[in-house]
Parts: sequence; C-alpha cells; structure tokens
Amino acid sequence: MADKLEQPSVQAPPEERKNPVLENIQQLGQTNTASAAESNIFCMTIIGQVEGHLVLPPQNKTTKYEHLIPQLVAAEQNPKIEGILIILNTVGGDVEAGLAIAEMIASVSKPTVTLVLGGGHSIGVPIAVSSNHSIIAETATMTIHPIRLNGLVIGVPQTFEYLDKMQERVIRFVTKHSKIAEEKFKELMFKTGELTRDVGTTVIGADAVKYGLIDQVGGIAEALAELNRRIEEKRGNDGGGLIQ
Amino acid sequence: MTLYTPIPLETVYEGMDDYRPQYMNIRLNGIDMQVEMINGVQAKIVRLFSSNPNDFLNQAYAPGAVIEFRPTLGG
Repeated sequence: MADKLEQPSVQAPPEERKNPVLENIQQLGQTNTASAAESNIFCMTIIGQVEGHLVLPPQNKTTKYEHLIPQLVAAEQNPKIEGILIILNTVGGDVEAGLAIAEMIASVSKPTVTLVLGGGHSIGVPIAVSSNHSIIAETATMTIHPIRLNGLVIGVPQTFEYLDKMQERVIRFVTKHSKIAEEKFKELMFKTGELTRDVGTTVIGADAVKYGLIDQVGGIAEALAELNRRIEEKRGNDGGGLIQ
Repeated sequence: MTLYTPIPLETVYEGMDDYRPQYMNIRLNGIDMQVEMINGVQAKIVRLFSSNPNDFLNQAYAPGAVIEFRPTLGG
C-alpha cells in the first residue's frame, strides 16, 4: 500500500544529527552500553505457571509452551548456537505442556544445562532433570507431590487407574533422566506430614543432590562453566581431534 | 488437562469467569499471529502461528509484546 503524502510546500528542516553518546547519557545514564555480542549460548527461562491447554487468568505469570517449543527447534537448527541454558523458577502447571517441554529439552542434540533458582515445583521437576546436567541453587526448593486429577478431563472418567497412569509418566521420566531410584522418588511423593495441604515433600537445594534428583548445587557460574565445558567437549569430538 | 502445581486451584483460577480476552488473528510483516486487544489502538501478542522457527527467536514478536495500530493513508 503506497502512502500518497502530499509534499509540504515548506521544506522541513533536516533532522539534526543526534550524538549517540549524548543520547545514551540522557537515556541510560552511561556513555556506552555494552554491545550485545552474539552469544553461542541460548538462554531460556521457564517461570510462573507452565500454561497448557487452558489460558489462565491474568494474575498468573505464565510460560507459554507453544512459544518455547519452536524456539528449541530454532536453537537446535541454528549452527551458531552451541549450547542451551534453561533457567527455572516455576510453580509447575499443565502436565502435558510441562512434559512436552521436558521431552524437547531431553531430545536436543546440543549440550543443555538447567539451573533451578527459587523453585522447581511439581512439573518443574521433570523439566529440571531433562537436561544433560542439572544444577540447583542452595536456597531453591522443589515440591514433589502426587498429581491431583483436577481441571478438565475430556470424556474420560476419573478413575484411580487413570490417575496412576498419569503419575507413572512423570515418575518414569524423572527416574530415567536422573540418578534417583523409583522407590525413593515415590517415597518422597507420598510422604505424609510434611506438606500441610497435600502429601509429598519439599526438597531444598543440597537435599535434591543428596537424593540423586539434581546433579550439582551451584549457581550461574557453575551452570555456564559446565555448559562451556560440554560445548568444548562436543567441539572436540565433532572436530575429529588433532591431525597427528 | 491436569494442573500439577502446589498452588491451590482457587488461587490459580480466580477471575476465570470474568476474564474475557478479545482475540484477533492478524498478519504482521508476513507472520500470522494471535493478538489480544488491550484498548482501541494497542494489542498484545498472544502467540505466533509461524512455521519458521526463527520467527520465535525474534524478541519483537514474543508473547506479551505490544503492537500499535496506526492508520495509514490508503493507496
């Protein structure tokens, strides 16, 4: 659509060449912003509720899984991206959307590291363990509890067997992608007395590592060190080694 | 659809009945997307329908980004 603007009869004064440094000082309070170099690490955050099939009311902060999944496809395809860092602070959310994200992360060929900060509750547990290496901050918590069959279940009667099957999906994924034994995970899941409104356990930082759920206690430095180490290793393996 | 979260469901679903977003499907710069009208001239991107994965890396089109509708002279 072509804009047909009439030429003004008086020529407008040419735009003054703005001094970029001056503009920076005015807008940001510093002379030079660090130029964003293109990173070889793709960083993705999973926060709030993992939103699935139902749009949640606006007081919920949500992670939209339908946006994350093509992003992971793009990251997997893009030759410039060599590693993926996933930062979690989630209260859980939709089981299927969470498992979708977890399976995507698990099936990426490039090195992945997850870092759990704050919380990695419920469906955040499979997402946290889905990477090549998982790290948890010392103060972060993960609540491990059974799935409650709530919300909409289309046309399927809510029987105990169905509930059990849904739960098995999660248990199987977590035990497959971490060092925790199935009996231990189930024991944490069905423990009574710890949570006031539910059965289950709250696992904090170092305990998660102790049970074999998470690989390491640490923070951003450890996460990046591990990711860079794995990227180097992959480069070395793919490169074919030194020519002797 | 099962919500697996320690947050009590009455808190999560609060206001669900009153939440009636006005969705619209538009095409912006060749990308199909779903937007939610915030007011008469602004809309917030809800999600993209693109089949090109690189569109999802573009922060300008991330969910939550606000776009403005501006009138242009017809041609």
